[in-house]
Amino acid sequence: MNDTVATGNDQGKRDFLKYALGGTLLAWVVSVVYPLIAYLKPPKQAEVEVSSVKVGKIVDIPKDSGQIVKFGTKPVILVRKADGELRAFSATCTHLDCTVQFRSDMEVIWCACHNGKYDLNGRNISGPPPRPLEEFRVMVQNDDVIISKNV
Amino acid sequence: MKNRINTLYKWIDDRVHLRDLVEFMGKKYVPIHEHSIWYYFGGVSLFLFIIQVVTGILLLLYYKGSEELAFESIQFIMSKVEFGWLIRSIHSWAANLFVGAAVIHMFSVYFTKAYRKPREITWLTGMFMLFLGMGFGFSGYLLPWNELAFFATKVGTDIPVIGKPIMILMRGGEDVTGATLSRMFGFHVAIFPGLFVLFLSIHLLLVQRQGMSEPIEFEDSPPDGSQRTMPFFPNFLLRDLLLWLLILNVLAVLAVLFPWELGQKADLFASAPVGIKPEWYFLFMFQTLKYIPAQVFFIDGEVLGVLLFGFAGLLWMIVPFWDRKSSAGQQNRLVNYVGIFVVLYILLFTILGYIA
Amino acid sequence: MKKMWSCRIILFTFLLTVFEQQVASTQDQCLVCHEAIEDKNAALFKGDVHFANGLTCASCHGGDATKEDAEESMSKNAGFMGVPSGNAISSVCSNCHSSATVMVKKYNSLLPLDQMSSLTSSVHGESSTKGGQRIAQCTSCHGAHGIVSKNNRSSSVHPLNVPATCAKCHSSAQYLRDYNPALPVDQLDKYRTSVHGKQNAKGDASVAECASCHGSHDILPAADVRSRVYATTLPKTCGSCHSNTNLMRKYALPSDQLEKYSRSVHGIALLEKKDLGAPACNDCHGNHGAVPPGVESISRVCGTCHALNAELFSASPHKKAFDQRKLPECETCHSHHDVVAATDKLLGVGKGAVCAWCHTPEKAPKGFEVARTMRLLVDSLQASENHAVLRVEEAEQKGMEVGEARFKLREIRQARLESRTNVHSFNESQFREVAERGLAVSTVVSEEATQAIDQYYFRRWGLLIASLIITSLAISLYAFIRRIEKQQASRARS
Repeated sequence: MNDTVATGNDQGKRDFLKYALGGTLLAWVVSVVYPLIAYLKPPKQAEVEVSSVKVGKIVDIPKDSGQIVKFGTKPVILVRKADGELRAFSATCTHLDCTVQFRSDMEVIWCACHNGKYDLNGRNISGPPPRPLEEFRVMVQNDDVIISKNV
Repeated sequence: MKNRINTLYKWIDDRVHLRDLVEFMGKKYVPIHEHSIWYYFGGVSLFLFIIQVVTGILLLLYYKGSEELAFESIQFIMSKVEFGWLIRSIHSWAANLFVGAAVIHMFSVYFTKAYRKPREITWLTGMFMLFLGMGFGFSGYLLPWNELAFFATKVGTDIPVIGKPIMILMRGGEDVTGATLSRMFGFHVAIFPGLFVLFLSIHLLLVQRQGMSEPIEFEDSPPDGSQRTMPFFPNFLLRDLLLWLLILNVLAVLAVLFPWELGQKADLFASAPVGIKPEWYFLFMFQTLKYIPAQVFFIDGEVLGVLLFGFAGLLWMIVPFWDRKSSAGQQNRLVNYVGIFVVLYILLFTILGYIA
Repeated sequence: MKKMWSCRIILFTFLLTVFEQQVASTQDQCLVCHEAIEDKNAALFKGDVHFANGLTCASCHGGDATKEDAEESMSKNAGFMGVPSGNAISSVCSNCHSSATVMVKKYNSLLPLDQMSSLTSSVHGESSTKGGQRIAQCTSCHGAHGIVSKNNRSSSVHPLNVPATCAKCHSSAQYLRDYNPALPVDQLDKYRTSVHGKQNAKGDASVAECASCHGSHDILPAADVRSRVYATTLPKTCGSCHSNTNLMRKYALPSDQLEKYSRSVHGIALLEKKDLGAPACNDCHGNHGAVPPGVESISRVCGTCHALNAELFSASPHKKAFDQRKLPECETCHSHHDVVAATDKLLGVGKGAVCAWCHTPEKAPKGFEVARTMRLLVDSLQASENHAVLRVEEAEQKGMEVGEARFKLREIRQARLESRTNVHSFNESQFREVAERGLAVSTVVSEEATQAIDQYYFRRWGLLIASLIITSLAISLYAFIRRIEKQQASRARS
């Protein structure tokens, strides 16, 4: 394309066009490639979480203990009784929606906000809670403890 | 810089004879006439297909095709992966635009009778690709495993006539379950793309080989310059690229301003929500089946509907073979009337489907 | 005085007996013989209201009362049935008592006619362990031969006698075990400790006894929703006396408790929201042993539900201070029947706050300062929670995924609720610890939500920039095509 005869004015215009085309093409490539690279970069949390939550190995959960597990956007409390039995309940107190915890000294699920107590079947046994805790299903598959919705 | 590119070009040219290709493309001409605009829709469909392939592969990096993980993994893509929202929204939007562009492409070919001899194979491969495109849409619709998709698939796979064996084949069992999801995932990312690429190669090869078809009325005029053309390379190709750029921008706008909804996760035991509708390109069939009475003479209404659609589809597909007049270079008004009827029918019933 | 009255009654009864004997002897041959053999029941029957109304032994036992001969009068042919047992007892009574023709027309009585049907559907109408028969028959409470009006002091169902009558069965652990082993048998003992029971023992017939709350013929278990003592109905039952201004004036008691309670947080929870966990009258005052809780026991009573608050309070310096000044513990700040949901307004030294009642800046500057600081903390916690919620909502409205932040919002709320409980420790550092935990989380949540909102704008700006780039590229490309075509045209011309 250098062989075309043109006036100086045309030449300037042509150069401008060339730069414009090249520049915008480069910018365009960047604007396409940048999101792609960013997309490929592994996110902070490397893998997706699920409706049934894998808590961990059963051997890692001590007897007579409880832990809060994030289940979607809601907390679930997983209790391992002294005899090794696993139970899971919604960790949202039925009184004013605080998060409950396991108390091994009293053998209850306990809410710190108003001292509400539930037994290890989720039943409200003392304090202000009006209803029992919703129960979740606990399964053990190949030593993995999995919590899922009770259907 | 320029020299280096030239050297590189020369290096490749020495080995694969690029010059022949360029010369071939340079000699290819695209006719210019009042219907030229329709030539672009094939290219647009191709571009959208490429977008689908690229975004699809990207989604595959994070998507998990199982009942427990499908919904959550898309949620993950949309919220945790950088630009995941963009990739997924573009994939969803481009899917719909692709079917739209392909349908327009098909009708333009139909009305300009571009399917006539010698382009019957091109037409047939094109039709196959359109059906595959719908298959892509149908199988891809289920992959997010949300409520709407779940029930739409339940309805969509429950087709009479072809009956139970096909239903079980599509669902991978008696009911729509996680097995259906794995199956649809397989169709969507392996089987359909394989078939599609096969047809696409034939289709593109034939287009390059045979060149663009011209409307019958232009064919008779002598090629002495009174009939205007434009070189395929670079003129038409650059115009194609220009249009693709604009389409890409439209996609970006749609993806950012109207992000594709994810909805609620499918619950196998929940009752069907109100207003389940299939994707818009299936809507006219869905709506027709609703209007057919339950019993026509001795045939089940739905069976009749499906048979009619099957028959009509078959007739449509083999138009190059029964429309002998066009192949002989004569006007065939019947084909036009049929086409207009079909377009009006689809428009009417799609609108009815939306209103209902 | 009392002695004189009893003398008069005895005299009157004696005269009546003599008189009646003369009239009846000619008619009721049963009574003649049974008196002769010194049958106790015959003697009792002569004091019976039914005897006074002209009923004979045969009215209940069957047979022919006009025949002198025992064989004839007590023959099966004459319809003699001996001593009725089981359900037959009550059906003998109901022959007349359920019949409007007999009761209203013949005796002009105002007694209700549904006593029998009430009994049948009541808890006492259920089958006894002896099978087939009801647990209680009419005679179980009313007796058989000496029945008198319930207004008669000697009636077994006179208000002063009801507790003992019910206790015949209900204080017998052995008897009750067969029916409801879980039911306590100490109701009478408890009742005697209550204000009601003490007044009743003193002969005050207008205080509550068993039937006042439980009903008489239609008694149902407390867990039955139709029962007068079912949780949601109980306040009304208590109110039937305690809202009666005239009656309460007698005891110098207020009569607005029910009204206050209905407006209280407990009343709204129980009566409007039907939350059976909320306390009714009996949950604070006791059921059978109903008395107003003493000044020092209030925190125990409230503490049965509000345990942590009570525990913290008891361990706080306020406990001693309140006790010394004889201030009721919870009630001083929260009031009792009309207790409303505690808000942050109660805390602090401003308007509506209670702390400054005692902790005036002059007399108790330290407490004044602590109260002020606590209120400041609680307010800033509330404000930062509100801010975090608003940010999260804004991000959600913009279509951004902020499930994580929403999850953390719970923690702020929890800290706020815990801090409110911790007010009762009246210890600034303990309170500050909880409140600051909430403040820290709300900062994090606000930040996360803000990031999501920023991301929303980032997307829009990104789109704008990308669109600009694409547009200028498109324009350049278009110009490029034009130039090529111009060149092609000029080449073709030349």
